[in-house]
Amino acid sequence: MRKIRAFVFRVLGMFRRTQLDREFDEELQSNLEFDIQDGLRSGLSPAEARRQALLRLGGVQAAKEAHRERRSLPAVETLARDVVFAVRLMRSQPAFSAAVVMTLALGSGAATAIFTAVDQVLLRPLPYAQPSRLVHIGALREGTSTAFSYTANFASFRDGNRTLSEIAAWMQFGANVIHGESSERVLGGLATRSLFDLVGVQPVLGRLFTTEEDAPGGPPVVLLSYAFWRDRMGADPSVLRQNLVLDGQSHTILGVLPDGFRVPNRFGGSAAEIWIPFAIQGRRAARGEILAHVTGRLRDGVTLEQASLDLDRLKMKLRSGISYRVVVTRWQDEVAGPLRTPLLILSAAVAFLVLIACANVANLQLSRAASREREFAVRRAIGAGRGRIFQQLLTESLLLASLGGMLGGLLAYAGKNLLTGLLAIRVQAADVALDWRVMLFSSTLTLATGVVCGIAPALHLQFRENLSGALKAMARGMTEGITWRRFRSALVVGEVAAAMLLLTGAGLLVRSFIELRTVDMGYRAGNILTFKLELTKSKYKDTRSQAAYFGQVLEQVGRLPGVQLASLAQSPPFTQYTLTLHQAVIDGLPPKALPVRANVITPDYFRLLDIAVVRGRDASSSDSFPGAAPVAFVNETFARLVCPGGECLGRRVQSWSTGRDWLTIVGVVRDVRTVPGREAEPEVYGLYSQFGGTHATVLLSTVGDPLAVAGVVQRTIAAIDRTQPAYDPETLEQSMSGYLKQRRARMMLVVVFASAALLLGAIGIYGVLSYAVKRRTNEIGVRMALGAEQRNVLGMVLRSGCNLVIAGIAIGMALSFPLMRFLASELWGVRPNDPATLAVVAALLTGTGVLASLVPALRAARIDPIQSLRCE
Amino acid sequence: MAAKSDVWQGTLALMVLRTLETLGPMHGYGIARRIESTSGDLLSVNYGTLYPALLKLEQEGFIASEWGESENKRKAKFYRLTRAGRKQLAKEEREWQRTTTIMNRFLGTAEDPA
Repeated sequence: MRKIRAFVFRVLGMFRRTQLDREFDEELQSNLEFDIQDGLRSGLSPAEARRQALLRLGGVQAAKEAHRERRSLPAVETLARDVVFAVRLMRSQPAFSAAVVMTLALGSGAATAIFTAVDQVLLRPLPYAQPSRLVHIGALREGTSTAFSYTANFASFRDGNRTLSEIAAWMQFGANVIHGESSERVLGGLATRSLFDLVGVQPVLGRLFTTEEDAPGGPPVVLLSYAFWRDRMGADPSVLRQNLVLDGQSHTILGVLPDGFRVPNRFGGSAAEIWIPFAIQGRRAARGEILAHVTGRLRDGVTLEQASLDLDRLKMKLRSGISYRVVVTRWQDEVAGPLRTPLLILSAAVAFLVLIACANVANLQLSRAASREREFAVRRAIGAGRGRIFQQLLTESLLLASLGGMLGGLLAYAGKNLLTGLLAIRVQAADVALDWRVMLFSSTLTLATGVVCGIAPALHLQFRENLSGALKAMARGMTEGITWRRFRSALVVGEVAAAMLLLTGAGLLVRSFIELRTVDMGYRAGNILTFKLELTKSKYKDTRSQAAYFGQVLEQVGRLPGVQLASLAQSPPFTQYTLTLHQAVIDGLPPKALPVRANVITPDYFRLLDIAVVRGRDASSSDSFPGAAPVAFVNETFARLVCPGGECLGRRVQSWSTGRDWLTIVGVVRDVRTVPGREAEPEVYGLYSQFGGTHATVLLSTVGDPLAVAGVVQRTIAAIDRTQPAYDPETLEQSMSGYLKQRRARMMLVVVFASAALLLGAIGIYGVLSYAVKRRTNEIGVRMALGAEQRNVLGMVLRSGCNLVIAGIAIGMALSFPLMRFLASELWGVRPNDPATLAVVAALLTGTGVLASLVPALRAARIDPIQSLRCE
Repeated sequence: MAAKSDVWQGTLALMVLRTLETLGPMHGYGIARRIESTSGDLLSVNYGTLYPALLKLEQEGFIASEWGESENKRKAKFYRLTRAGRKQLAKEEREWQRTTTIMNRFLGTAEDPA
């Protein structure tokens, strides 16, 4: 208690320095007076009294010193003084400080971002009990491991295994869901009861379905995800008595799952909003080779190999005869799997970046320490011990390191979006968040690099100076061997080469991206809105009802204001739904084995997308009339590859629907790329009136902004049949951007790395040159005294800078020839050794190098020869 | 004449408290002289050791200071004992007595239980 009181007073004492000093002076003065008084009283003469009093007063300075130490916290005061000095020093050298801070920020930011991802994806165990015993059961087929098992195997696995204590299965599906008045398309999950037990999840409302209920013929029930319950049902606690209609079948709501429930897999985990019992699939599952995720928990003492063998002997044969093997892996590894290699590569790249950053900081600090030799000599002369100087240097380094670390943290936070964009499909964005472990890692890293790289060079010089005191003048020119200088230059040249490589790669990727973005797709994409429709099979059983419904949709939607044309297509551009035939059968010709895309459209499709008809005629509404002759259209590639002489008109192609009718080819249309970067494949178009189908994309061309009519269109379609909601509204432009999103993220990542490398290279050049200039101050002074002009000196420094840059560019260019080939799979429309890109990058680097050399060069040119010669 | 020894840090605080109890409020010079004379001039008190002790006592609340006037109308900073200081003095006196008693037992004439 007393100690605290004393401490508080000492803290306060820090702020009253001048006042306390003054008071103490007065007190000492009055003490002196009293002493003199006493002396006078005991008979001494005034002069003698004064002399004796002064003697007794003794070391005034020592007394004041002792007073100062006790009345405040001297350690804190020195620290505060050091910090103030460090700040002032920083501000007086803005270029240097900015360089160090930015370098540290880059290194620390990149390291933090990567560490976050690595931690989240690779290091953190799954958040379930005993995660190391949780396994994933997949199939190894033709050398690739799949994330799925065959559902027909599941029953055998479940009943016959000897190595698992629990086993569960789940998969995703889509359904048209009706609740009350609203209908929408919902992503759902099928799961065995054991899945919820495996991950240890308890509902927040209601209950889970039991294992008995999860059997063929069991009651139709459904569990809601928390988000679904909150957003669609307003978190109403009375949902338990209500029903959801899924694809025409009514399901009783049994319970609500907790917020954030998601089952992890290598594709980012389930996004299901509703869950129904696995066995509801019924016969389809038992018969088919339908794929599902299967996970389980190992029995104690069982290894993965044992489990693999155990389950492998229970597997069934595939109808297609392809052989496969059942493989049991750790669930953790399965989730992280495809990300492991890219993340490790990224980590290596970032580690490399951090090393370069450290080297840069060390370089810069060395350069600055060299110019402060005088300052340190003076400090030591007035009594600063080595510990004191060390403390001061430490404070300066810590200040820079902290700033660098904070900036790095901001960079990492911003870069988080880039990373999640890259890993987007695999990892949910919420997972890759920054948390305290990462913060700890990053601050430790920054402080360590900042401090070590900051202090080491300075101390190196300091202690060296101690030894070579007498030889100081001579030693100055040779305090470091030629090897150190060469090493540092080589380091900078390496940085420039690395920057050259990365910039070239970035340049190539950017050009590819632009090419892809602007490539001619074969259709016009502007102002086109798309919707998906998935008809409930139980309601629309045959072609007639399907065609009738679609006809109504087109008619109603086509009449809406703002809509020019409306059409349907089964596989429009960017669709996930593709049907590929293995052969083309032309009447009178042997079947031609080649992959052919089969598409189903309505007559306005080609007009809507501006797909030109090169031969024959366009589709017309009369082709859709009942009883019309069955027709088909093909694209140019099909005509070229399949029909003799490229003449397809009038020939008949075999339909791929169950009837195997013959369709007459009446038109040949221009090729259309389904996605950018892929060449057109042979494609044949049939009509919905002929084929029917339950899946369709509605395409609309609009007058103005397509999204503006989206709501009206959805409502119109809902008005026709409430149970069939139109979902996934998207413009074709958006589909294009979405498709390119991953590629764009990869490109941005390389661009970011390249920019970082460029910046670091520039800082490196600056650092090396400014140190060289400081070291050669005398020499420059002599040169100028002997007649060199300012511009000669300027040119000299610039030239040494350019030498470094050119050497780096040359090495980088040489390396780019073999290395850029690795990028070839990513490139489009541009060669890996594209000379234009190389030239632009080289120019950019040269320009940056010149700029970086300019500051030290100008400083050198402004050296006053008299000053420099005097500062011997 | 035996050399004057510098006074030990820990006991100086006790001496200051005792001095202030005896003399009442006193300035720094007076305290120093009083301690010296009480010790029979065997101790020498310099301000470098006295003032840290005074500061510590004041920060811990055992003494209080204020500027006042001496008999000769001279401005001086006077220190006085607080109530807490009195209690602390009593406590430390007791402890010091106990320490010396124990030490005397050890260092006194050894009685040999022959």
